[in-house]
Amino acid sequence: MIPISHYLILSAVMFTIGCAGVLTRRNAIIIFMCIELMLNSVNLTFVAFSAYLGDSAGQIIVFFVMAVAAAEAAVGLAIVLALFRNKKSVDINDVNILKW
Amino acid sequence: MPDIIFQSTKHFWPEITLALTFIAAMIFEFATKKRTTGTGILVLLGLAAALVQLPSAPSEPVSIFGGMYAIDPFSTFFKYVIIVTGMVVVLFSFQSQELKKESGHTGEYYCFIAAVTFGMVLMTGSSNLVMIYLSIELVSITSYILAGFSKSLRRSSEAALKYVIFGALSSGIMLYGMSLIFGLTGTLDLSGIRTALASGHAVTTGWSFAALMAAIVLMLAGFGYKVSVVPFHFWTPDVYEGAPITITAFLAVASKAAVFAVMIRFFYVAFFDNMLASTGVYSSFRNVDWSMILAVLSVLTMTLGNFVAIWQDNLKRMLAYSSIAHAGYMLMGVVVMSNFGLSAIMLYFVMYFFMNLGAFYVVMVIADKIGSENIDDYRGFGKRAPIISVGLSIFLISLTGLPPTAGFVGKLFLFSSVMASQFIWLAIVGVLNSVVSLYYYARVLKNMYLREAPDGDESPIVFSKVTSAVVILFIIPNILLCFFYQPVLTFAQRSIAILLPGL
Amino acid sequence: MNFPFLSVITFLPILGMVIVLLLNKERTKAIQTTAVVVTGLQVLLAVVIALGFNASLPGINNEATMQFTERLPWISIPQTPWFGEIRIDYFMAIDGLSMPMVVLTALISFLAVFASFSVNKSIKGYFVMFLLLDAGMMGVFCAIDMFLFYIFWEVMLLPMYFLIGIWGGPRREYAAIKFFIYTLAGSVLLLLVMIGLYFTTVDPATGAHTFNMISMMHPAENMKEGLFATLHSTPRMLAYIALFIAFAIKVPVFPFHTWLPDAHVEAPTAISVILAGVLLKMGTYGMLRISFPIFPEFAVYFQIPLMIFGFVNIVYGALCAMAQTDFKKLIAYSSISHMGYVILGMAALNVQGMTGAVMQMFNHGTITAMLFLLVGVIYDRAHTRGLNEFGGLYNKMPLYSFFTVIAFFAAIGLPGLSGFVSEAFVFLGAFQANPFWTVLSTLGIVLGAGYMLWTFQRVFMGTLPEKWEAVMSDVSPREIFTLAPLAIIILFLGVYPSPALNMMTTSLDHLVRFVKASAPAGQAFLGGF
Repeated sequence: MIPISHYLILSAVMFTIGCAGVLTRRNAIIIFMCIELMLNSVNLTFVAFSAYLGDSAGQIIVFFVMAVAAAEAAVGLAIVLALFRNKKSVDINDVNILKW
Repeated sequence: MPDIIFQSTKHFWPEITLALTFIAAMIFEFATKKRTTGTGILVLLGLAAALVQLPSAPSEPVSIFGGMYAIDPFSTFFKYVIIVTGMVVVLFSFQSQELKKESGHTGEYYCFIAAVTFGMVLMTGSSNLVMIYLSIELVSITSYILAGFSKSLRRSSEAALKYVIFGALSSGIMLYGMSLIFGLTGTLDLSGIRTALASGHAVTTGWSFAALMAAIVLMLAGFGYKVSVVPFHFWTPDVYEGAPITITAFLAVASKAAVFAVMIRFFYVAFFDNMLASTGVYSSFRNVDWSMILAVLSVLTMTLGNFVAIWQDNLKRMLAYSSIAHAGYMLMGVVVMSNFGLSAIMLYFVMYFFMNLGAFYVVMVIADKIGSENIDDYRGFGKRAPIISVGLSIFLISLTGLPPTAGFVGKLFLFSSVMASQFIWLAIVGVLNSVVSLYYYARVLKNMYLREAPDGDESPIVFSKVTSAVVILFIIPNILLCFFYQPVLTFAQRSIAILLPGL
Repeated sequence: MNFPFLSVITFLPILGMVIVLLLNKERTKAIQTTAVVVTGLQVLLAVVIALGFNASLPGINNEATMQFTERLPWISIPQTPWFGEIRIDYFMAIDGLSMPMVVLTALISFLAVFASFSVNKSIKGYFVMFLLLDAGMMGVFCAIDMFLFYIFWEVMLLPMYFLIGIWGGPRREYAAIKFFIYTLAGSVLLLLVMIGLYFTTVDPATGAHTFNMISMMHPAENMKEGLFATLHSTPRMLAYIALFIAFAIKVPVFPFHTWLPDAHVEAPTAISVILAGVLLKMGTYGMLRISFPIFPEFAVYFQIPLMIFGFVNIVYGALCAMAQTDFKKLIAYSSISHMGYVILGMAALNVQGMTGAVMQMFNHGTITAMLFLLVGVIYDRAHTRGLNEFGGLYNKMPLYSFFTVIAFFAAIGLPGLSGFVSEAFVFLGAFQANPFWTVLSTLGIVLGAGYMLWTFQRVFMGTLPEKWEAVMSDVSPREIFTLAPLAIIILFLGVYPSPALNMMTTSLDHLVRFVKASAPAGQAFLGGF
């Protein structure tokens, strides 16, 4: 059997990659993908703990997270669309009229 | 099982009313296609219906839906603040010219206000990590939409984009913290977490201790983001400036209240070791000194908020930084871990409600009139629009915390609670910060009264009778609450009862 | 309870303010009349209070011998299982320490109203702010409850900010915000000490914590546990220092004085009069009312440093005054110098020094008020205050020169005028306490005579420049009306100071004994000096 630490390390690595992606990438769409990556790494942690502890609560929350992530992505993409109409760009560097 | 649901529903009617309001408003909006303020009135009535049910909440804490949700005086107090703020914001929105430009969507706007209010109310009572996550997300997602509501304005869309990116990032981080807590304690229930921490020695040593501290920090990132605690505050000024001003006001008051409620519940319920009934002082688990982390964050938050506000030219943005600073002040009340601190925070929220909504209202009516939120454009206002200017001055003085205004009493009790817990250095930092804050608030006064309008224009700017009446309506509590705050404080003191396990 | 004299004298200006607010802003005569009537009534009330004042009752830390006491429960929040009762009283009373200040405040406010008639920009707003300021000042001197004291203390800031900022000179914005920030920085320290004292002090009658200053003065009985409960402890020392800074900013004591010259120079005449006449006294009043009796052991411990502060103020203020070419700035620095005498006198910690200090507070109030009024007179005519631009006014304005001579010589401390009495007492007391610093401080008198006489020479002797020939007319009846009462008081107290002295001696004697008794002489900071 694969020990739990493997799952945890994998998800931590995934989470870090996602987080780094959000902070460094400049394309709004890719940023949303990175956020999905973060959320899915969290899901992995939950599921792993759930199996390890024999408690189904961890799996229940995963469903909620997936549903919420979908809603969040929908709203996020709608906002990107609205910005694209105003600005003709999805590059974060162009989001610059509000500073300090 | 059905029995639990019936038993629980009995206490859940305000929330159900809000949910129904949201659904009804949606249906009304689609059915009538009137795109007028009709939906707004419906939402207003729904909020009022929820409000009138609050006094009948049980005076003793009750846990409902199998520990998912708590009904206690603590959450009821915040529900009052949130729902009343929601109603005031709806009323402000009726008058806002900014929203009228987006004609065709105002109905939806009111629906979302109902949804956000519902989410915030849920936040105050959430006593399970799943509930905390879901209610925070309900509020977040709807506020993203509301922040970007002025679709034709570029700054509004930009603000919304920043909001959604930072928001999603921070909720991801918070979720990771939740997963670690779940792994360490095997439960998502707040009181269960405390029981696990109290019984298990494992978490105070080695890797699991490090993981627990990491989880706390990660959770703090999530909460801190929502109340705009430094260093998770980057979205605040942008969103406050870009969002329609009614929404800014809503976020500044109600959203902050809701997150403070859920944050206090999370830390006080899951991470307290003991509470002395005689002094009302909580003690945290040995080693798990989360209050020290919060103290540092509080100092950072108020200092940065106040100093950066000095350089702002846009009043809306300045108020955003000021609200960051106020989050820092209020965090002091969480840090001290006592009932006194809690009651001080609650008192502060009432005062904050009056001064902040008043200030945002004045900014809104002036922006509608002259099309600018720039502080330099306020020159000569003291003569040209006396009532509005006096109002704004009083609200800003109240935000500074000088007598004879409500803000003074709020600050007095916050600092008292800090002094009572012997956090003297924190109190000193706090008061010095309010001196700094005077500088930028006074800058607005300076422009309004000490300077003439640039072109020597002295023609009066006429505001409607309603506007003046609303401003006066906000001035009165701002002055009166300095001298007669007794009922509010008594109410806040009676509302400190949080649902605590094993007490 | 008898007629609430103190409440009436404090809140009368608020009533006047409401009346002014209701008047149409075009009706300047009515607005001015209201202000005159209100402040005139204040003077009458102050006289009535002074006549009814029993000078043989000490007051200070003895609640039963406070006079004109008004005490009403104000805020009362019942006890909770986890927190004691919160009680705040509306508590006003006076004793020999505050009595002279009440008279001074009423008098200076009344005269300042007349000096305000030359204001011609938004008169309504001016008098609204003026009356609010008046109420705040009066309240500070009457409040015995510290919470109330603090509210009045802070209420003054805002009107002062506007009065300097709107009606002031060219650099008014800078001066106004500087004043505001400085004084607020001081008062937040006061706030923290106040909160700390609240949690330490227990009212013996109710068992609840209290803001009552008199209860705070009995640490043995009322401070059982809490931050400031242990005498000679570090928290109490820090509190004393914090209070000192809070009040020193107001006095102002070097190095916290930099706001004062700016504020004085920019403020309109009437506001300079109030600032110098009353506001500065609040700092020293606060020290005598709060710092000394509540932290007596540190009043004794820090006696020598306080004297040094007094010395520095005297000499530094005088030297700076000597270098000024702006008439108003010169008087501002002379104020710093004269407030140094007050500090020196109170640091003596004996009855002579203390009496001299309070006497000096009163006398400086009248003398400096008169000096600022005199500057206002020539500024109204010439629109400049440059000392070197004048000359030969003596022949052109004989009556004006007469008043100036009185004020100048009183400021120098010439025998026969009131300034002499208080300075003599200060030096008498201070010499007993520490000859070294006292002797050094007498340098201030020499310097004071120097800059005053030099100024007199520059402005009044010599020949009058051509350009002033037409504009310089002698003082008008209105100006005489403001100057004459002050001149009379200065002359009267110079030859017959007993009425004022009698008023305060019992209280101050009591204060000195009480401070010394509760802090047995022991180790002192910089004791060797």
